[in-house]
Amino acid sequence: MISVTGLRKHFKSGEQTVAALNGIDLQVGQKEFFVLLGPSGSGKTTLMRCIAGLEKPDAGSITLDDKTVFSASPRRNLPPEEREIGMVFQSYAIWPHMTVAENIGLVLTHGPARLSQSEAGERIRHALRLVQLDNFEKRPAQLLSGGQQQRVALARALAINPKLLLMDEPLSNLDARLREEVRTKIKKLVSELGITVLYVTHDQVEAMVLADRIAVMAHGEILQVGSPYELYCDPKSPQVAEFFGSMNWLRGKVLDKHNVETAIGRLEVDCRGKANGKVVVGIRPEDMKIDAPEEILGNRLEGTMAHSTFIGDQMIFEVRINDTLLTAKAMPDGKRPEGKVSIYFPKEKMVVFPDEAGA
Amino acid sequence: MKGRWLLVGVSTVALLPVVGLLLVIFWMGFWQNGPGEPVVYTLNHYRTILTDSFTFKTLLNTLGFATTTVVISLFFAIPIAWLVERTDLPGKELVFTLMAVGALVPTFFTAMGWVFLLHPRIGVVNRIFVDAFGLAQSPFNIASIIGMGWVEGLGLSSLAFIMIVATYRSMDPSLEEVGRVHGLKLFQTLRHITLPLTFPGILAASIYIFTIGLSAFEVPAIIGMSNKIFTFSTFIFYKMQPLEELPNYGVAGAVSSLLVVLALLLSWWYFKVLRFSSRYAVVTGRAYRPKLVELGRQGRLCAWIFLGFFFLVAKLLPFLLLAWAALLSYFQPPSMAALRQVSLRNFYGLPWDLMFAGALNTLLLMLAVPTLTLILCLAISWVILRSELKWRVVFDALAFLPHAVPAIILAIAAVFVALFLMRDFLPLYGTLSILILVYTISRISFATRIINNSLAQIHPELEEAAFVGGLRVLQVMRKILLPLLKPALVYAWLWMALLCYRELTMASVLVTNQNNVTLPMIVWGLWLGGSLNQAAAANLVILGFMLPAVLLYLMVGRRSRLEEAL
Repeated sequence: MISVTGLRKHFKSGEQTVAALNGIDLQVGQKEFFVLLGPSGSGKTTLMRCIAGLEKPDAGSITLDDKTVFSASPRRNLPPEEREIGMVFQSYAIWPHMTVAENIGLVLTHGPARLSQSEAGERIRHALRLVQLDNFEKRPAQLLSGGQQQRVALARALAINPKLLLMDEPLSNLDARLREEVRTKIKKLVSELGITVLYVTHDQVEAMVLADRIAVMAHGEILQVGSPYELYCDPKSPQVAEFFGSMNWLRGKVLDKHNVETAIGRLEVDCRGKANGKVVVGIRPEDMKIDAPEEILGNRLEGTMAHSTFIGDQMIFEVRINDTLLTAKAMPDGKRPEGKVSIYFPKEKMVVFPDEAGA
Repeated sequence: MKGRWLLVGVSTVALLPVVGLLLVIFWMGFWQNGPGEPVVYTLNHYRTILTDSFTFKTLLNTLGFATTTVVISLFFAIPIAWLVERTDLPGKELVFTLMAVGALVPTFFTAMGWVFLLHPRIGVVNRIFVDAFGLAQSPFNIASIIGMGWVEGLGLSSLAFIMIVATYRSMDPSLEEVGRVHGLKLFQTLRHITLPLTFPGILAASIYIFTIGLSAFEVPAIIGMSNKIFTFSTFIFYKMQPLEELPNYGVAGAVSSLLVVLALLLSWWYFKVLRFSSRYAVVTGRAYRPKLVELGRQGRLCAWIFLGFFFLVAKLLPFLLLAWAALLSYFQPPSMAALRQVSLRNFYGLPWDLMFAGALNTLLLMLAVPTLTLILCLAISWVILRSELKWRVVFDALAFLPHAVPAIILAIAAVFVALFLMRDFLPLYGTLSILILVYTISRISFATRIINNSLAQIHPELEEAAFVGGLRVLQVMRKILLPLLKPALVYAWLWMALLCYRELTMASVLVTNQNNVTLPMIVWGLWLGGSLNQAAAANLVILGFMLPAVLLYLMVGRRSRLEEAL
């Protein structure tokens, strides 16, 4: 559905040139819910704006549904109105001088579809039903709440029956509770309608809830593409690992295929080919087990409990092993271990990367 | 506490004269006889201006002139603002700079240039047409309402441009982008989204320009008066300084009162529209640059032709004509014969003694007025934004008054007060001091708005921290506020100094002798006396003096601040 190759885009700010996109290659399949995830300044919005035609790339090409909409050579750059896409902006971009119906209807009656008033009316009602805003047609845009504006923006984008829907941080202006509610609805709606979605966010939880696949971006590059599960459990770089939650990092030296010597002692890990030199070993706090049952064997180290904090749905432990402080998380079970504890590091949960700084 | 009351006191002293002058104007309108005689009150002047056909014609003239001004300035300002804000036109910075500097070119300067171009008798273009086609009459007449509106409109295009650019800036560009993405063509986006959303801003600019047009003095004075076409401002001026009879303060007062009420109503409407338009202004957290419309080669060419035409007619042609006129002893269209008569005689023949006296006075004004205004307005802004005073709303309203009251009326009221109420104990009439005072009063609105905008952006806790640390109000002012406000103050100072330099409207009433003559007044005096070519030469000389100040302004001033003050 979307095929991006070798896309580059530079911005000039004063004397400096900033590379916003640094050679992006991306394939998004038909009916896929694809999320671009990255911190601000990673280039995710620029990439989306290039696909929409709102930004002109310097190099590369973009194909939508087998139609080349941009290529640097031969030169081709379709204007946004000829790319047949729906888009929801972060600010929602609801036209304040119009009613809800006019907001949705304008592009139907004056856009390429050129619908008659009655046809457009039918479409408007249908689109509003999809976002559960029936009977809102006559409401002036300025009387809409943030959540309602967001839904009108979605209805407007869906009303033109797009094959591709672009969404640029559509939930970032909603409060936390509404955000959770809306994201499940969006997911359900677009899968029912069978449209391809490209979705930009900086929130990894949002990305994991929504996405079939995620592309993690940083500094104008794509670090890794994969399903939420792959990215969480099998990150290909420390940055990607960090992006999906906190990590305990341990520097170490590879002893053999299955053993690494670290500051806290010898750990049994799967080195997966990185069998020589220095490595960093990472483990998520929620994967470490404090005082695990006796019958589990291997990778069990002795430490001291430095501090424990109860935050409601979780316990946060800080444990010290040989002067190294590690963080662990667990479900609260009423116990607050003190003094000497044993910590279990499950072999299959640990990730190993070459130590680039120490090499 | 002492410091606080000092600031409140300074603000009061600054604002009371505004109220005083305004009351004097209303009072003047009811005087039967001249000052000095026993006071008899009458309603006759109001009866006269409502029934007199000449006054009625003046009213129609003024409305026609102001309307033409609005149409012309918007005709140029809207497309240029759009080109600068929303397209990939190269060289935008240059266009912006030229527009801002354009606001500083004295209107009397371009008005004289246009007389040389399109005057029915001497205008170059008319002469060429008459000769080439054997016409019996000149095809164009600058000495008409439309002609004067054209010149005033060209001059105010810069101001309209700056206001409309601000409207575009305050509009969330994604409102336009979402239209394009969903299939609207550029033209449809402009018509259904951009235009309706910028309409309130454009309407506000129109009202603002119209208000200026109603009381504009320079163009009607340069072009209209010698051809017996009067607008309100020249009518009032004429009643104050008639050639044959005694000054008629009563009629001047009555017409002025009418004009003040009209201007106040328009200003009220302006703020109402402005508030409405700000409801459309969406401030988005993110600062991405809006998608720029690609003009393409043809579009770019059209844009440059349009811009070129504007700068040609608004600035370049009048300048060239003035330069040409300055080199001739009497005005004639360019020809070989005329070329042989070119000389610098006009420059030698200028009244240089008077010019030096005028230059010194103008320089003093440029130094004194901005400085005094800023001191007063700092106090006013502090009272409005930082004091807990119950009456600060009144200060806010009063600080706005000088903006609404036409400058020429302020000057007339000041002359009246100086001549008849204060002559015995404070002889201000005919001094430079009265110019300084009236110029300062007329700039209070501008300076207060600029300082208010900057002060509002300074968190009060910055001052409170200093208070807690034991500093007094005036120390906080000096150590905290002044350094933080410095960029705005420097900008406002320069802008006001430049406005002082080109000020003719108030000077035309206040300047009475060599002691308080200013440079623009000398030019105008030459022009009124019929020495058009010498006036042109004098004009070039004073424009040359202004150049270094303009360059300084360009180096220091940031363009965005002018928007804040409108």
